[in-house]
Order: sequence, then structure tokens, then C-alpha cells
Amino acid sequence: MVDEVFVYALSTCPWCRKTKQWFDDSRIAYDFVDVDKLPDDEQDAAADKAYELSGGRRFPVVVINGEVIVGYSPDKFLEHLKGWGGGS
Amino acid sequence: MSTDARKESLRYLFERVVTPLGYKFSPDEQLVDDLLEAEVQLEQDHGAPFCPCQGRTGVREEDMKIVCPCIPFHRAHFDAMRRCWCGLYVHLDVTDPDSLPQFPPDEV
Amino acid sequence: MTGPCWVPTIDDTTVPDGAYVAVFPKGLGVLLTRVDGDLYAVANKCAHMGCPMEGGKLEGYVLTCPCHDWRFDVRTGVFLDAPELSIRTFPLKVEDGKVHVEVGGA
Ligand code: SF4
Ligand code: FES
Repeated sequence: MVDEVFVYALSTCPWCRKTKQWFDDSRIAYDFVDVDKLPDDEQDAAADKAYELSGGRRFPVVVINGEVIVGYSPDKFLEHLKGWGGGS
Repeated sequence: MSTDARKESLRYLFERVVTPLGYKFSPDEQLVDDLLEAEVQLEQDHGAPFCPCQGRTGVREEDMKIVCPCIPFHRAHFDAMRRCWCGLYVHLDVTDPDSLPQFPPDEV
Repeated sequence: MTGPCWVPTIDDTTVPDGAYVAVFPKGLGVLLTRVDGDLYAVANKCAHMGCPMEGGKLEGYVLTCPCHDWRFDVRTGVFLDAPELSIRTFPLKVEDGKVHVEVGGA
């Protein structure tokens, strides 16, 4: 029942911070990357990955057990978290 | 120019742009302050007040569509959310910005 | 309220077709353009962040701001991506070979 959560974020984006805060408060482990804080040579690859997953350039891009959610949306996060009775 | 002075001038410039479009600065003052501060930093580092919540690609034609206020280029999406993607601007009648959900354009 | 204020600027012949010239009637930044033989006068100041429009591309009636590429119709001043926004336009006339721009009420 361990959920795999990854957050693509920008350090400048308040909704990215709120997203991380939500997972912190919910005591759900997650990995994240602040794309704009990466060294120059790694930024493009990380950004491209986020753009490819989300089909746009909006952050945050949250991947929960392989499902992609764009934007700060606790309802959708819950839907996809198995540990919370969501997911499939 | 100091960051605070530039924040004030962006506020003045952008207010004139967003009002005719039916938007205003969010009543969430802390959010507005954080976002304007980020935009001043982006302007210093990258030459324009780019969106703090959207990523650049390096393609000029695309990147110019996420210079703040980017409302004209994302109108239908933002009108559906009643806020811009960052939430810096909300529709004129919005008093409770936290109640406005953030969802991607394919869900409009 | 001030009345109409016609200010002579440059010779009509010095505005080439498909291009623009910056003039400063009463110190006001104005671009004179000519498209298909007709003259137009728009403010040399973008509706986005106030950049001078000078240095931007003119293609047909569309003038693109050099700063962030906002596009305006020189006939009306209207911003192509949101008609609620525009740059100012000025009435003009040619008299004695000179382009006169009306900047009254400026
Ligand atoms: S989403 Fe909002 S803050 Fe971001 S560029 Fe667009 S208008 Fe500005
Ligand atoms: S100032 Fe003209 S497009 Fe930004």
C-alpha cells in the first residue's frame, strides 16, 4: 500500500509549495524536484519530462502511482492515493 | 531599482492591463506579494516578468505567452477557473480566492 | 478640457510605405506608419508594460512590440489577443506636405 508520489515543482510557484505542504501535513512520503533550482545542464531534461507528462508547462505536476495531476488539487490527490482508499 | 520599488511599478502597470479584462489582484495579499517578488526576480534573471508557475521552453513564441499578465493568451481557461493559473489575478467579483480550484485547461 | 491641437510633424513623403517613423508632437511619443498608401498614427508606447513600440516589426497592419511581442492593429490601436486593450491612436491630416497629428486632450 505504499504510494509513489513525485512532485515536479518550481521554487517560485506558491501552489507547488502548497502541494508539498499538503503531502507533509498528510504524512505521505514523496520525492520532488524544483526544476528551476537544478544546475543549468539538468533543468531542460527535468522541465521536458514535466511538460511531456502534463502536456503543458504548468506547475505543479504531481505523479501519484503513475497518474498525472496538474495543479494543486487535494481532491484529486486523494482519489489516486491507495493508502487513502483511492486509486484502482 | 530596488525589488520593492519594482514590485510597486509592476503592480501599477499590470493593474491597468487586467482591469479591462475583468480581473483584479487577488485579495490574498501575501500571495500577491510572493508572486510579484518572484516576477521581479525572474525579470532580473531572465529579462521579463515571466510566470512564476509556468515553465519556459526557450522558444520565444511560446515564452512570450507566459509573460505576466498572460491572461489574453489563456482566456477561456482562466475565465473557467475565475483566476489565472498562479492565482495572482482573480475575476473582479471574487472575494474568497482560496475557494477557486486550480485545474488544467483540458478539464474546462 | 483642451480643444483640438494639431501639431505639424514631418514631411508626408518621409513616411515610407510598410514602415514607421517616430515623431514627438508636443513631446508625445507617436509612430507614424503608412500601409497601402494610408497614414496612421499610434502611440509609441505599448499597452503591456509601456515599452516603446519603435524597433518592433510592422507586418501589414500589425505592429508587434519588441519587448514581449504583443500585437496591435495600427488602424485602431487594438490588441489582437484581447480587444479590451489597445494603444492610443491619433487623428492626422496632411497639410502643405506635412503630416499634422492631433494631440489635443493629451
Ligand atoms: S498565470 Fe497569472 S501570474 Fe502567471 S503569468 Fe499568467 S497572469 Fe501572471
Ligand atoms: S511591453 Fe510591449 S509586449 Fe510587453
